[in-house]
Amino acid sequence: MLGPGVAWYLGVAAFLFGIGALGVLLRRNVLIVLLSLEIMLNGANLALIGFSRHAHNGAGQIFALAVMAVAAAEVCVGLGLVVAIHRRNLDLDVDKLSELRG
Amino acid sequence: MIAGAWLCLLAPLAGFLLITLLGTRISRVAAAWISTGSVVTAFGGAVWSFAELWADGGERTHLSTAWTWLQAGNFKPGLEVLVDPLSTMMMLVVSGVGALIVLYSVGYMHGDDEERRYFAYMALFVFSMLLLVQGGNLLLLIVGWGLVGLSSYLLIGFWHERPTAVAAAKKAFIMNAFGDATMVLAFFVLIAHSGSLAFGTSFDTATTLSPTAVNLVALGLLGGAAAKSAQIPLHTWLPDAMEGPTPVSALIHAATMVTAGVYLIARTHPIFEQARTVELVAAGAGALTLLVAGFVALVQVDIKRVIAYSTMSQIGYMFLGAGVGAYANGMFHLMTHAFFKALLFLGAGVAIHALGGEQDIRKMRGVGALMPWTKWAFLVGSLALVGIPPFSGFFSKDSIIAAAMTIGWYGWFLWAAALVGAFLTGLYTFRLYFVVFRGEPSPFVREHHHAHHGKEGPWTMMVPVVVLAVLAVIGGWLQFAPIWTPLTSWLEPVARTLPVAEPTSWQEGISSALAVGLGVAGIVVAWLVYGTGRIAVPRVAALQRLFEHKFYFDELYDAIFYKPAVATSLVSHRELEEPVLLAAGPDIGETAFDTGRGVRRLQTGLLRTYVFFLGTGMAVLAIVFLLTK
Repeated sequence: MLGPGVAWYLGVAAFLFGIGALGVLLRRNVLIVLLSLEIMLNGANLALIGFSRHAHNGAGQIFALAVMAVAAAEVCVGLGLVVAIHRRNLDLDVDKLSELRG
Repeated sequence: MIAGAWLCLLAPLAGFLLITLLGTRISRVAAAWISTGSVVTAFGGAVWSFAELWADGGERTHLSTAWTWLQAGNFKPGLEVLVDPLSTMMMLVVSGVGALIVLYSVGYMHGDDEERRYFAYMALFVFSMLLLVQGGNLLLLIVGWGLVGLSSYLLIGFWHERPTAVAAAKKAFIMNAFGDATMVLAFFVLIAHSGSLAFGTSFDTATTLSPTAVNLVALGLLGGAAAKSAQIPLHTWLPDAMEGPTPVSALIHAATMVTAGVYLIARTHPIFEQARTVELVAAGAGALTLLVAGFVALVQVDIKRVIAYSTMSQIGYMFLGAGVGAYANGMFHLMTHAFFKALLFLGAGVAIHALGGEQDIRKMRGVGALMPWTKWAFLVGSLALVGIPPFSGFFSKDSIIAAAMTIGWYGWFLWAAALVGAFLTGLYTFRLYFVVFRGEPSPFVREHHHAHHGKEGPWTMMVPVVVLAVLAVIGGWLQFAPIWTPLTSWLEPVARTLPVAEPTSWQEGISSALAVGLGVAGIVVAWLVYGTGRIAVPRVAALQRLFEHKFYFDELYDAIFYKPAVATSLVSHRELEEPVLLAAGPDIGETAFDTGRGVRRLQTGLLRTYVFFLGTGMAVLAIVFLLTK
């Protein structure tokens, strides 16, 4: 096996996932939240690929491709929403977009 | 003969579906003729199967299975029709008399608002009745049994804008539903013991059942038969059922449906013979009904109600015959009764039609002078009903009375009751005849008759009346016990008369002589009282009240069933609903509101809280997953 062991990859993946999660929880700008989501997804992808190499099994890599497709779709919807919010001259602030409060 | 039987069964169903589906796209007259045509076709099918069965010298029992209808484990009833002497006889009576009465309806119902619905129901009824008599197992029999109850309900309540008609329809349906329920319970017992409802298997099983079980089965069947045939104690619906149109009364409540109970006893006689006590109870109920109905008929003033009570009384005779074991005699009376009672109803219908719907015999006085055909036809029907030779009732009724003599001391009671009934029959029948048809027409009658252009009725009404009048005369010549008994031999393979119910010649002779003598005595008394007025109508206040209230059966059922039910409802409304349920209602609502207010706070509308809950939930799940692994 070339390169560092699987633990290193998992460490980087967890780090990316953590950054993304904190971004989603703490940032208020919708665009940044979407961006952070992408980072979370990519952290997960990295873990999948790392395990795939570790186990000599291609399924994980295929799975990562599927996640990318879902991420692309999600970004389309998310950016569409962002454009729609902007057109109505609303703040792109997730804390102010709370009309569904019970 | 199988093809004929299927044709007979399915033609009226096709007529019913055709009228229903075509709706207003066809004229009312077309609907009437479709219905008539389908029932006439059914009669053709019946004649076809009868002719082939006649030529068939063998066992004369043919079962035709279309397919397995239901399947539940070993219980596999087929959709099958049975062609045997008993079912063929019923097919001929039902479709033959049915065809005449539907033809009569073409004239009678002309101009009614909902003729199409009426004729669709009539075809449905004929189909249901044929299914009842042709069904090759007890399950199909009860399907037909339920369907005739349904079509009877629909036709009694045909004039649904009359509250009395709707009430009468409900009453008939509920009392019949009671009988249906007891029959179904009996079938459950049979299925539990034999796993089948086929006639043969069920009857073989009956011989192996414990006395308790077989008595229960027979009682259940008797309950159904008594409800359908309006025998005491389930008889109160039949007089009210006269709210329906007159041809309906003739077809359903005189000629066919109400006699289904007699058919049931004849068909399931192997079961009843294992439960001889129950069979004798049936005979006793018949004897009681024929007396009670005879007395009540003496004081009724509605022409159709008099005939309805007379129907109950005659079915009492049939139950008496079938109950003592003379099944062929019961079936014979069923057939002749179908002829002369349909004739009486249709004759009454002609008069009612001409008088614009009037049914009170006091207002109808003297109709006979203006309507000679109807008068003679009604006279023929009355003579056949009283049992004067050579009219048909003489042959069938007297053989039942004679059969009652043969079964010991209990039979003597039945015999005496039947003879008293013969006198009452003469009295009430000719009271009706003399009051309605003799004498000078009243001004009311003249006025209405002229409004009708002086005609008795259209040919569609008069032809069935004449045909039935002929049948009411010659229908009885089929059998003159004990010399000439083709019908008994015909039914021998299916409904063999019990040897104990075979009277000797002298018993036949003395019964006939007494029955005819008493019938004539009844006519003479009716003549003296109502024909000439030489004797005033005797008045005994207590008896008259008793008869006019129909022996207080309605009041009794009101007190036993209706009033306690209403009282229970009122008490539970006052004690349970108001203090408990209504009081608890607002509390339950408040609690729901409070819960909602609390839970609402979780829905913050903030993305971060949702993500937080999501992440926490996932983390908890992951920990649980790892710990339990």
